[in-house]
Amino acid sequence: MKRKIAIFLVTTMLTGLSMGCSKEQGNASSQAKGDSIQIAVAAPMTGDNSEYGIGFYNAAMQKAKEWNDNGGVLGRQIEIVRYDDKNTAEEATTIAQKIVSDKKVAGVIGHFSSGVCMTAAPLYQENKIIEISPSASHPEYSLIGDYIFRNNTVISKEAAASVDIAVNDLGKKNIGIISIMTDWGTNTSKIIKELVEKEGNGAKVVAHEEIMEGSDDYSLAITKLNEAGADVVICCGMYNLVAPVAKQYKQINPDIAIVGFSNAYSQQLIDLGGSAVEGVCFPVIFFSESDDENVMKFVDEYTKAYGAAPSALTAQAYDSVGLLLTAIKECDTTDSEKVKDKLYEMDYKGVTGDTKFDANGDVDKDFIKVTIKDGKFIKMN
Amino acid sequence: MIVQQIFNGLALGMGYALIAVGYSLIFGILRLVNFSHGAIYAFGAEMAMIFIGMRFGITAGIVTAMILTGVLGICIDKLALEPLRKKKSKPIASLITTIGISNIITNLLIVFLGSEKRNFNNIFGDGSIKFGNTVLTHTQIMMCLVSLALMLILMFIVYKTKIGLAMRATQQNSKAAAMMGINVDFVIAFTFFLAGVCATIAGALVGGYYQIVYPNMGFMAGLKAFAAAVLGGIGSLPGALLGGLIVGVSESMAATFLGSTYRDAIAFIILIIVLIVKPNGLFGREGIKKV
Repeated sequence: MKRKIAIFLVTTMLTGLSMGCSKEQGNASSQAKGDSIQIAVAAPMTGDNSEYGIGFYNAAMQKAKEWNDNGGVLGRQIEIVRYDDKNTAEEATTIAQKIVSDKKVAGVIGHFSSGVCMTAAPLYQENKIIEISPSASHPEYSLIGDYIFRNNTVISKEAAASVDIAVNDLGKKNIGIISIMTDWGTNTSKIIKELVEKEGNGAKVVAHEEIMEGSDDYSLAITKLNEAGADVVICCGMYNLVAPVAKQYKQINPDIAIVGFSNAYSQQLIDLGGSAVEGVCFPVIFFSESDDENVMKFVDEYTKAYGAAPSALTAQAYDSVGLLLTAIKECDTTDSEKVKDKLYEMDYKGVTGDTKFDANGDVDKDFIKVTIKDGKFIKMN
Repeated sequence: MIVQQIFNGLALGMGYALIAVGYSLIFGILRLVNFSHGAIYAFGAEMAMIFIGMRFGITAGIVTAMILTGVLGICIDKLALEPLRKKKSKPIASLITTIGISNIITNLLIVFLGSEKRNFNNIFGDGSIKFGNTVLTHTQIMMCLVSLALMLILMFIVYKTKIGLAMRATQQNSKAAAMMGINVDFVIAFTFFLAGVCATIAGALVGGYYQIVYPNMGFMAGLKAFAAAVLGGIGSLPGALLGGLIVGVSESMAATFLGSTYRDAIAFIILIIVLIVKPNGLFGREGIKKV
């Protein structure tokens, strides 16, 4: 019996090996022919944040399709390869290792959250692979190296815009902060506190509560904020934090003003929050209701293909792919060193405004202040 | 503020208690911690949302979801756990199986419905009652009432009906019960059905309270409810209720005095203390072998 099992195991292993080999050869030959240029999209495709990863992938596919319809780049077709990092650092490291050892991709679009990006980025930097994250906003992310870019504003700039809305546009003085307990959330709330201190005008942070992502009960934190006399709450979290906080807060205090960040900008904020998110304000760099021709075309095509309007981060992923492809085209090569240098020089006009990387690989963009009125996102006056 | 926080904690605790009942029911019969219960709870909540959304009306929607989730419970037992019992596998095999099932259910929900959080309509309206500085929403009050009513119904089923007698007999000695002509497999299937129904009620109430449902909602809630069930004495229904309330209130106290950061840790600190000081929980009986 044991012997039979042993024979069986050995056979399976051998078959596996030979199949593995033949597959490798297949891939190698296709690369030799050079029939496609690969771009990796590494983001959460399953799990809690999958809607963002799928948004990245859809945006990348749409951009690739536009280019492919016009003959691709360098006379080759563009192929988007998707990797699922489940928004965990462990998976992201595995994926990064696979990407750098395969050495097939011209660049990586992704990862999603700042913390995950920052575990994968050193691997890309070391192996000279370009990474453009459409979403990371942690200040230290782009400092990891010169191959590391982001098409998202650094959080300190965005936080300044949020504080500006709370203090100057809404005219509130007593600021409460509610933040998710991640690297990003903790850091953002720290930045807000510093900004409010600098702002002067009698504005002050009256309370700060940190909450676990994924707990649905915020009433305990809200009771404390309310008791501290907050008249505006800055929510450091995605739409899935802003909507329930708005709902639960307005049950206690219907007059509370709520300010969020661009990552709350998603149709799901309104679907989830209903009437409670009326009047929620936040700064964005991409606004899908914009009357800009490019934006309208992009939103229109994206909605037709995927059934929902693109969120800000999806649009940023769309431009990230555009940036990379344009740089490859202008360099006439996929050699990452040249493409990287090109990226620093480029001035790219996309759906998320003008993109110009600074020496760190960061972008500086103009913010549009958006609020919700009658179940729709509108520009603030 | 403290009074308000206690009430917030009680409402939170009622939610845990409703989930904890499911752990207790199944543990009572099978001596098995059913770790898939959190996922069943999420399934129940998602189904309730879908059926209410399909214009079934609230009551009919929840009842349909209850039946469907109950059937899911039976399927889990028949497909995965009964074969293991028939083979007389070690208890640990069933335990690991339930963890696996939990992952299967959660991921299937994500595949078919997506991982995003969705809106669950508030069942009891937006109203609230004020006592001085303390605000009690209608949802909080109804949650407490429904939980207590459900607990009474369950107690009635277990202690006053024929099927309840069969359940208690199976609990004491399933072989002897089988010899007395009790269809043990049916009793176990019925218990799984009942646990599924409770999970759906919990899902609909908690989902309606936070007005949010998503496939992963059962993970943390399930673990904390498990802590609540152990605290109260796993296998005991009043224990589950009391355990849930204690966990809920201590969480709100931790959030008030130590900061929201500590609230999740508290449930598990309590779990460890109880396991050391009183291994059988507050209402637990002596001599129960735990898996």
